[in-house]
Amino acid sequence: MNSRHRIPFQLTAASALVLAATGALSQDAAKSEQQATPYAPLALENRPLQSSALTGYAGSLQMGLGYTGDDNYMFGQYNGLSDDGASFIGNMQWQDFHSGDSYWQVSMSDLGLDTREAKATWGKADRLKISAGFDSQQQVRNDSGRTPFRGDNQQQLPDDWASGLTTGDFTNLDDSLRSFDRELDRDRLFAGIDARINENWSVQSNLSYEEKEGHSDVGGAIYIDAASGDSALLRSPVDYRTTEFDLGLSYDGDQLHLNGQLAYSDFDNKDDELIWQNPYSSYGPNVRYPAGQGGLGLAPDNDQVSGRLSGHYLFSATTRLQFDSSYSVASQDQNYLDYTVNQALTVTEPVPRNSYDGEVATSTANVRLLMRPLAKLNAQVFYKVRDRDYDADRDGYQYVRGDGGNQPDAKFTVYNTNHDLTSQTAGLELTYRLPLRSKLSFEYAYEDVERRNSAVEETEEDRYTLGYRIQPWSNFSARMHVQYADRAADTYQWAQSYYALLDTELINATPDNQRYNNHPELMQYYLANRERWEGKVDLSYLPSERWNLNLNLLWRDDDYDQSNLGLTEATWQRANLSASYAASKELSGSIYAGYDVYEGEQTSRAFRGGQEKNAFEIYPPLPQASDPQQNWDIDATDTSFTVGANLHWQFAPDLELELDYNYVDTTGEQDYSTRPGGTAVASDLPDVDTRLHHVQASSTWHMQDNLSVQLDYQFYSYKTDDWAWDGVQADTIAKVLTFGQDNPNEDIHYVGASVIYRWQ
Amino acid sequence: MTGNRLKAIFILCCALLTSGSVWAQDEPGCFDCHADEADSPVHTVFKTAHGSLQGGGSNTCTTCHGVSEAHNRRGRRVPPDVSFGPRWPSDVDTRNASCQGCHEKDQQLLWMGSEHQQESLACNDCHNSHEQKDLALHGEQSQELCVSCHTQVRSELHLPSRHPIAEGKTACVDCHNPHGGLGDAALHQVSLNENCISCHQEKRGPFLWEHAPVAEDCALCHRPHGAVNDRLLTARSPALCQQCHAAAFHPSVPYGSEGLPSGSSNQNLLGKSCLNCHSQIHGSNHPSGARLTR
Repeated sequence: MNSRHRIPFQLTAASALVLAATGALSQDAAKSEQQATPYAPLALENRPLQSSALTGYAGSLQMGLGYTGDDNYMFGQYNGLSDDGASFIGNMQWQDFHSGDSYWQVSMSDLGLDTREAKATWGKADRLKISAGFDSQQQVRNDSGRTPFRGDNQQQLPDDWASGLTTGDFTNLDDSLRSFDRELDRDRLFAGIDARINENWSVQSNLSYEEKEGHSDVGGAIYIDAASGDSALLRSPVDYRTTEFDLGLSYDGDQLHLNGQLAYSDFDNKDDELIWQNPYSSYGPNVRYPAGQGGLGLAPDNDQVSGRLSGHYLFSATTRLQFDSSYSVASQDQNYLDYTVNQALTVTEPVPRNSYDGEVATSTANVRLLMRPLAKLNAQVFYKVRDRDYDADRDGYQYVRGDGGNQPDAKFTVYNTNHDLTSQTAGLELTYRLPLRSKLSFEYAYEDVERRNSAVEETEEDRYTLGYRIQPWSNFSARMHVQYADRAADTYQWAQSYYALLDTELINATPDNQRYNNHPELMQYYLANRERWEGKVDLSYLPSERWNLNLNLLWRDDDYDQSNLGLTEATWQRANLSASYAASKELSGSIYAGYDVYEGEQTSRAFRGGQEKNAFEIYPPLPQASDPQQNWDIDATDTSFTVGANLHWQFAPDLELELDYNYVDTTGEQDYSTRPGGTAVASDLPDVDTRLHHVQASSTWHMQDNLSVQLDYQFYSYKTDDWAWDGVQADTIAKVLTFGQDNPNEDIHYVGASVIYRWQ
Repeated sequence: MTGNRLKAIFILCCALLTSGSVWAQDEPGCFDCHADEADSPVHTVFKTAHGSLQGGGSNTCTTCHGVSEAHNRRGRRVPPDVSFGPRWPSDVDTRNASCQGCHEKDQQLLWMGSEHQQESLACNDCHNSHEQKDLALHGEQSQELCVSCHTQVRSELHLPSRHPIAEGKTACVDCHNPHGGLGDAALHQVSLNENCISCHQEKRGPFLWEHAPVAEDCALCHRPHGAVNDRLLTARSPALCQQCHAAAFHPSVPYGSEGLPSGSSNQNLLGKSCLNCHSQIHGSNHPSGARLTR
């Protein structure tokens, strides 16, 4: 009996042992297999398919016609399709690598549009490459506005202009308004050569010339003090020329690789000043309409000379030094404009010099030492420095306020200041490989920023980052990252900008408790103490060979814990989900969705009342400045939700379909709160909502191996209700003559038909 | 007689064998198996920049795939020394080393230690040297490759304010070097500001009246990939400006819905808000521009 009972027990025990041993062995085998199989990034398998029609031919020529249904400025903001009507579709590429060891490539695109570009390259394998081409870009902006001004950089009002103290007094404004384009065209010519001198040395050089022309917009005001300004939005001419040249020399040795480069960049603005006739009748006869004018200084000509040295040195198979350093000098000495464009105003003291004649020398060095002290341990030591050093004289400028009055007394002189800056970061990153294809990393970085002529002379930040990446199964990987950063600022010198800007006579005449530009309790956030927490998670999962799923999360919180006024907290949350499916070579698709919320909390204090602060009359301190009941807060939240999908389907051997859809929904909220008992009043602003639908469909019929017909269709719908422009006519704001532009509201259809011929 | 014949046959065989081995050294027998067929991508490489490596022919193959003697003998069972897949892919370091034999300079100089290298990306994860058109080298198509992994950027590219990246007029690689760099975010230039100014030279200055944060860091106010707010701004004005400015009178005052056209139509809120007057926000060179209004 006992023996009969024992046999099954022995069998069971033996079976269990065998199973356990088998399990253990298989587990060991699995472990060793896991260890033997290195980490491999996922999400690469199901990328967009490379159609042979796109990649498998030596040349192709596409020609056809497109038609845009309506004038627009959002759909065609950058793609050259802003005008309604027909446009030529022209794309071409051709390359030849058959002719011995020399080759050439030519490509042209958007030939019928203002975004056309072309490039030609000729080379001899690994010895010489010469290329040249051009690139045109276009940007159009809201062109629904109108302006009464005529002219370009000298803008005049119509002869029958009816002036007044406010825009409401411009009685013939409507009759004077004319539409205008806000369009920038950027055309760049470029050429380059890359030649190998011998086994170790090569030389490179590039030359480019760019013209940027068109019109932007700008606000200009005529005023005598900060309490009031007579402003107008103006069409601003853009006529830039940029010439750039660089010459590089490279050395490639066994251990040392070096790239040296000298570069020169010259920026030339053909317009120095934008002058507009004053439409208002405020101030004296020399300032008001019709004689009075305003003048804005436009971007000054400047140039930059720079040198850069980058490379790496291989100490051993496990130790390498990398470096990238540069030194550049940007100079600007354009002749000054007069203090005022109104020549009839009294100006007794000329500008202290003819031009700024200033330079900024910027030195940078980024160095990284890579080491692998142990088989599973990688280490990086890094150091970065950026030094911005001004060489410019500090002078007093007895400036005319807003072209609005005579030159003020010498005591109102202001002084320019230089903003020298030295930023240094040093740190260490350690990465250790663990089982299950996982990796643990830790980084510590210390950043020190020293500034001259700033409210804070020095900020120091400690940053700790912990990262972990694991791929427990071949079809799943996870990456996590947590960062804590603590920035400490020196004492906030809230009066620094006041003392730096103003004349001692004025300062001495100002009561101590009014010697500031910014409220003493405000800390500019980029100079303030800050505690940052950040977390990131990235998950990739391939449930099958055909599917790929990815989830990406970010959370960041910036706490400006020492700031009473200014930005006090900022939070950023982001989630992105994407999935792609590749059923076969003929069918693939992907979808993605993104949700992004950025929230900023800021506080300020409203202090005003009575007269404009006049330092030469002794007032009691502005009482509201020290009253916390005058505080107010904004809780501003920008939210965006994006969804997109793409489908590529070759539903017959000679028919292909490509569908692409993007949806964007954004909301900008600004909620105010004020203190009971204070005089500051502000209600929440309406939300700014934006909706975009963009459908792109393309079908291609491959009539023959080398001949296809392609039909394209796009539908673009964009709407927004930005309160900054909603219902704002040209004369809605009493002291700002605007363009009266509408918010974008577009529904645009585009169709295209083209023939593609390919050859080998 | 028979002995002489045998000697002759032996000498002939030796000669044939010797000549065969010499031939094998000069021209590996890649094409014995990899014939030029429509469904085989192998021969397409000869229509690309890599087609003339080491004089072309099968030497081109061994330049990247290694001498692969075992594969030459038993091609169906043994992989080449360096295989880029899909069958028998070599490990990442081996594949990358093959490319870096020639491409460890210029833009690829700082590959080691780069984000992509640390993520174990192989060169052929993005590049395909056997296609006549390597999409990774063409702006608009290369962006598709980038955002297939960087999905968070994909969303930003469609926001109301953006660079022309979705249109392919600015490519990811115009600003970033996917092969690594020592600056932030592997930018081509040595700093973020240098990167921005390489296209926006009109903001380079130096200006008589500078706006200090502009010279320090463009990203203090702008989000380069795309933003909800106009001009790639991190927040709307006037709130954005009031994060740093609280001077007496108008800069310190809250501007709520009372300032809309249904109310007082406030000049500091509507239109370009602060920039209705302080338009020279990136700096002014006008001698009367201390307040960035000229």
